[in-house]
Amino acid sequence: MKRKRKFIKLAALFLVAMVLTSGMSAVTVSAETPYLTFTVNGYGGMEETQTAYLAHQTIIKFGEEFMSSPNDICVTDDGKIYVADTGNSRIIVGTTDGELESIIGEGTLKAPRGVFVTENKHVYVADSDAEAVFEFDPEGNVLNKYTKPDNPLYGGSKVVFKPIKVVVNDAGIMFVICESNTNGIVEISPQEGGSFLGYFGTNLTSVDLVTMVFRAIASDAQKAKMISNIPSTPDNLAIDEKGLIYTVTRGDGNNSVKRLNIAGANLINGANLQGYYDDSPAAVAVGNHDNIYVASSQGYIYEYNNQGEPIYLFGGRDDGTQRVGLSTQVASIQVGKDDEIYVLDNDRRQIQVYKPSEFTQKLHNALYLYSKGRYTESREPLSEVLKMNSMFDYANRAMGRAYFQEENYDEALRYARLSKDKSGYSDAFWEIRNNWLKRNIVATMVIIVLAVILYKLLKLWDKKKGVLSGVKAGWAKLKEKKLISNLCYSGYYMKHPFDASYGIAREGRASWSAPSILLLIFMIEYVINKYLCGFLQKTVREGRYDIFSDVGMIVIVIVALTSCNYLVCTINEGEGTVKKIYTYFCYSLLPYIILTPISFALSHVLTKNEQFIITLIQFVLVAWVLIIGILGIKEVNNYTGKETFKVIALTLFTILIVSLLIFIIYVLWAQVFEFISAIYGEVVYRLEK
Amino acid sequence: MRNKNWKKLIALLAAVSVVTAGVPGIVQYASATGTEEEAPEGGTEGGETGEKKEEEEPQEVSDTGEVIMKNAVGKKPKSEWITMEDYELVTESDTYKMYLYEPTLSIMLENKETGKILESTLSDEKDDGYSNRSWNSYMKSGIVLTAIKNNKSGYQLDLITSPHTLDVTKNDNGFSAKLFYNEFKVGLTMNVTLEEDELVVNIPDDSIVEEQQGSYIATISPYPFMGYSFLDEKKGYMLIPDGNGALVNLDNKEGRYTTGFNQMIYGSDVGFDEKTAKALLWDEVDMVRNANEVIAPIFGMAHTEDQIGYLAVVEQGEKRASIEAQPNGAKVSYNRCFANFKSRDVFVQPLNNSNSGTVPSTEADRTHTDRQVRYILLSGEDVSYSAMATIYRNYLLDNKLISIKDNSYNTRVDFLGTEREKFLLGTKAVTMTTTENVEELYDEMQEDGVSSLLTLYKGWQKGGLYNLPITKYKADSHIGGTSKLTDLIKDSEEKNYHIYLYNDALRLNPSTDSLNFNMVKQVNKRTFEEELYAEVYRTFYYLTPGKAAEAIESFADSYVDDGVSNLAMSGISNTLFTYSFKNKFYSRNDTAKDYSDALDKIDKDVNLILEEPAAYLWKNTDAFLDMPLGSSDYMYVDEEIPFLSMVLKGVIPMYSDYVNFEANKTEFFLQMVEAGVFPSFYLTYEKSSDLIYTNSSNLYSTEFSTYRDVISGYDKGLREVNDAVKDAFITKHEKTDTGVTVVTYSNGVRIYVNYTGTAQTVDGVTVEGMSYSYKVGEAE
Repeated sequence: MKRKRKFIKLAALFLVAMVLTSGMSAVTVSAETPYLTFTVNGYGGMEETQTAYLAHQTIIKFGEEFMSSPNDICVTDDGKIYVADTGNSRIIVGTTDGELESIIGEGTLKAPRGVFVTENKHVYVADSDAEAVFEFDPEGNVLNKYTKPDNPLYGGSKVVFKPIKVVVNDAGIMFVICESNTNGIVEISPQEGGSFLGYFGTNLTSVDLVTMVFRAIASDAQKAKMISNIPSTPDNLAIDEKGLIYTVTRGDGNNSVKRLNIAGANLINGANLQGYYDDSPAAVAVGNHDNIYVASSQGYIYEYNNQGEPIYLFGGRDDGTQRVGLSTQVASIQVGKDDEIYVLDNDRRQIQVYKPSEFTQKLHNALYLYSKGRYTESREPLSEVLKMNSMFDYANRAMGRAYFQEENYDEALRYARLSKDKSGYSDAFWEIRNNWLKRNIVATMVIIVLAVILYKLLKLWDKKKGVLSGVKAGWAKLKEKKLISNLCYSGYYMKHPFDASYGIAREGRASWSAPSILLLIFMIEYVINKYLCGFLQKTVREGRYDIFSDVGMIVIVIVALTSCNYLVCTINEGEGTVKKIYTYFCYSLLPYIILTPISFALSHVLTKNEQFIITLIQFVLVAWVLIIGILGIKEVNNYTGKETFKVIALTLFTILIVSLLIFIIYVLWAQVFEFISAIYGEVVYRLEK
Repeated sequence: MRNKNWKKLIALLAAVSVVTAGVPGIVQYASATGTEEEAPEGGTEGGETGEKKEEEEPQEVSDTGEVIMKNAVGKKPKSEWITMEDYELVTESDTYKMYLYEPTLSIMLENKETGKILESTLSDEKDDGYSNRSWNSYMKSGIVLTAIKNNKSGYQLDLITSPHTLDVTKNDNGFSAKLFYNEFKVGLTMNVTLEEDELVVNIPDDSIVEEQQGSYIATISPYPFMGYSFLDEKKGYMLIPDGNGALVNLDNKEGRYTTGFNQMIYGSDVGFDEKTAKALLWDEVDMVRNANEVIAPIFGMAHTEDQIGYLAVVEQGEKRASIEAQPNGAKVSYNRCFANFKSRDVFVQPLNNSNSGTVPSTEADRTHTDRQVRYILLSGEDVSYSAMATIYRNYLLDNKLISIKDNSYNTRVDFLGTEREKFLLGTKAVTMTTTENVEELYDEMQEDGVSSLLTLYKGWQKGGLYNLPITKYKADSHIGGTSKLTDLIKDSEEKNYHIYLYNDALRLNPSTDSLNFNMVKQVNKRTFEEELYAEVYRTFYYLTPGKAAEAIESFADSYVDDGVSNLAMSGISNTLFTYSFKNKFYSRNDTAKDYSDALDKIDKDVNLILEEPAAYLWKNTDAFLDMPLGSSDYMYVDEEIPFLSMVLKGVIPMYSDYVNFEANKTEFFLQMVEAGVFPSFYLTYEKSSDLIYTNSSNLYSTEFSTYRDVISGYDKGLREVNDAVKDAFITKHEKTDTGVTVVTYSNGVRIYVNYTGTAQTVDGVTVEGMSYSYKVGEAE
């Protein structure tokens, strides 16, 4: 997604702006919620799906108590909501129905910005202005007040202690995020009135090459202006039953969502996010099925599985129409025991409650079983999910795996292909192929042996009676034709490039027709191989065909190579003419033409384990094409080795220059055209006045 | 020799460096010109809503929930108040007396029996003094205009601060006010009459004068404070035409909502680019659904305790008007609703293709139409939305805007015939349901006891669902061809299964009909393009209404020739736009007229049903497809009510949106029971995953085998209820304290719908949790 965005920006620079209009689709399927729900398909693309969570209820006050710039909530299993009511310097305890239970910390707290409630109902509050973490008992009495650790490892007098978020594990150890403390999460043990255990889960900084170069040459003043390279502090955190800590950090790309083990190592592979992360995440929560929820401050809500693979994306930013379910400034997210989501909107001063739809409940159940490896059990809920949305690739993939476990390989193969699960496809295919081989091995052998015998017999017969002489004579006659002979000569060129080059240069073997036919065959093979090869080898999306640009690309490359090579050769005492150069470039493609059918055929019968064969063929093929191409340049133009490489470098360089020139001319022309059309537009406009 | 070559190389290198240095320069130039466009656009936007300029910072709200503005004018001293004594009686009807205060055209309507008063402008007594000068004059004027001057809109013209001349003539039924603004040299005449218990406010088109080049009327809001109330001083609600219907209670909103309902009747106008930039995820994905369109041109105000109120029908000029309903807290502390007529608008005219040079421009001509709002005054028991629904139904029937159609129950199952996916250089067919498949599925449904069906056959035409426009009756060979389709339609009639061919008459697909250049251009003369995130066809145009009408007629002709006559139309049924074509400009009225005429013409020969039809087409349709069952989930809405269903039940049969794509099916089912709406399904014979590479990839669940049981279940349940109801109207709809909704019909049937999780008893009828029940009774 990231990459795509960059491309779009780049394209936007060059392309003429178009009139964009609203509307995702002509068919409005349902207008139940003001936001759409998306999932991610097997290609990593967004796919619309059933509403996952419905905006159910909005809590604006508890009893008669309103919130004032609230910053955090904590929802317990017994349905109580604890709100860090920052503006009113207190913690409100209420029920999910909006009833007021109690108020904690009035008079004690200054600016409570984080709240956490443990199993035994002890309330921990991160107060940035009081510079302390408070621990209250269930009745609201202060039990402990943890202030700035005096441990020198904390960072000395310069590092302040302004807690903004806190979570506590079973052992009572506090994990505290402090404002403007970039060392990481502060880990405090409750012993001896709070002893500092160290920093936890520190974010790393990364420096790209451009920044490094710039730093090396920048002046001090310039350096001062640059964005500092201090690691960003996590913005929010959560803790699960096992004591794993989840953090979100804004602007951290693929690492913006982390699941940290006790040693502080991230268990989520950033690539699993497939680019589906938010640039400004506000909060994170752990669901009841090992799933992770991240709320963006703009109101988008992401649901991931425990591996960080995106499941849903929904919600949205309110554009001023004030619709239920859209948010303006999210500060916190919590998940209740029935999978309902509580989202605290700091700007609106309200808590929005979302309830999972029937569809989501089924999916959660299925994915939970699936992630635990109980594939067969998960099939029942999965098929329910697929009934409701047959294009849900998560479910399709899980279904494929489940079928694989049950040794129903045909179905496994179908679902794996549907969900673009290449390794699942490969496994299923291996089994199917294995079964086929088991059944047909004898018959296959017999056929091969028979074919060999037949061939030998035919040869023998021919030797004795000369039955094939007619065919042979015909072939010889055909070979005399110039075109056929030239085509055959390409085979000779492939095997003996030195000798054959001499033929092209001196013996009139250069022509237009034969190389063009080879080029045409090359194009056809290229296209067929690209779009119809085996699923595992496929590099393009199924159902996507872009043949015009494929053919166009080949033509452009050949034309550019031939013409630029010719230009360079003429000023470098080369002996090649355009025809000769065209001929050796096209003839050089023969290894591709011969080897590609083999790799194409193999791509339909090989699994992932044997992929190396295809890779090897492709390697040989590329090397061969390159070698005979280079030799062609050398021999036809009668160059020494050194001269050849100079000419090749110059040719590539010329191609670069030419394409740049064409681009510049295009841009300039566009400007001229723009200018003329602007004048025309203005004239028309004035005349109409 | 060698030296020579190195020199060449150096020369080349130098050339490259020049070139690369030059390229960013060009790009910079391009981006610099790109920013220029924002200036004029920003200029018009800033002036767009003149009276609401002081924006963006959070508004100040007092403890009691009043909005306090900067530069507030304060309360007038009591001695200067304009009171009832300053008003004079103009006319009276059976129930009402109308008083007028000439300088501001304020009227008061007094109920003769109860003495309760409905005010049309803010009185000095109720002025809280917290509004600024501009808002204060807005609230106290009987009519407010906004004007355009030199391509800038947003100048407020009211009856307090703007210099004007006013000439009021009284007559038997009311008065006529001739108004002229000296500074802008614009004027109009407003006629206000009390006809029986209906107040009619009319502004004739020919009374509008715009004498000065460059200054024009942009919008006209007659009585923007009609029936207003302050915070929670009155009990009651406003009725807004969002979705099926919604109520905004007249309680204290404590300043929570900074804006209210503001929607154009019959949907927004694609002829103008949208002015508000949408918030997009990652700058590219639009996650927010568009709000529902306003289907019916109505709004209402009910002061339930005072037993006074009105239902307003925007009778003329409604095709280019919006309805606003603002709760207290939205800028000022008063609840109010009104119609806002648009006459002319400012737009951005690009001068070249890259939009790098633009000029603000004003529409060359105003929308020519009379403008009329009819306030049907309510009193006594009638001050409720149930009564409003009845009154509106009677209004429509009396004025022949609807007629009673066959209301017998059908389950609606739509089929998708064929779609296209990309293949090599072109596309290939993805066939989902052939005519033979339909027959097979019909047989299965007949076995299941489904005794009548209504079917929309989508994607039947040659070239698949998105081969648009359709001009001939020619079926795709993949579904069996034209003759098979004709046979299917005829044979199915015998089973009481009615097949309607689906036709999106609005759109033009440039990929399938590349030689058709009759597409709609926006007012800035740029072709309007509807962009989709789709697999195959990503751009659609709108067909010009004239051509659309031709296409519809020629299609209907060739269709009727084959002896079949069931036709379903979408697209044109709920889309209106201003457009330009061949250098001429057309208004939304012109568009509506073209569509309406074409449908009138074919309506004689075919059985026509329309998808979510706008109110002006209700007379043409035999069924209302895709009736919304909810609303757009506005935060300020306190209650969703099935208002349109209450109006149309027993008049036009209504069908829901597709059940397939509903995430919460139980609740959706109960809503259908409550609203008297029939269920709809979208089905295919093949697996819906086959559609993944087509434009219909968002149809993620359509396979018949998945829905077979659901269909027969829904059919059984809803058929039973609707057979009991028969052709009766809904007379009353109420939500009881127990959470059970009770719907009463004119034949005495009462339906009880329980949306709570537990069993409840109402009228001695026990209804299980998340379930329904009904009781047959005596007709009233």
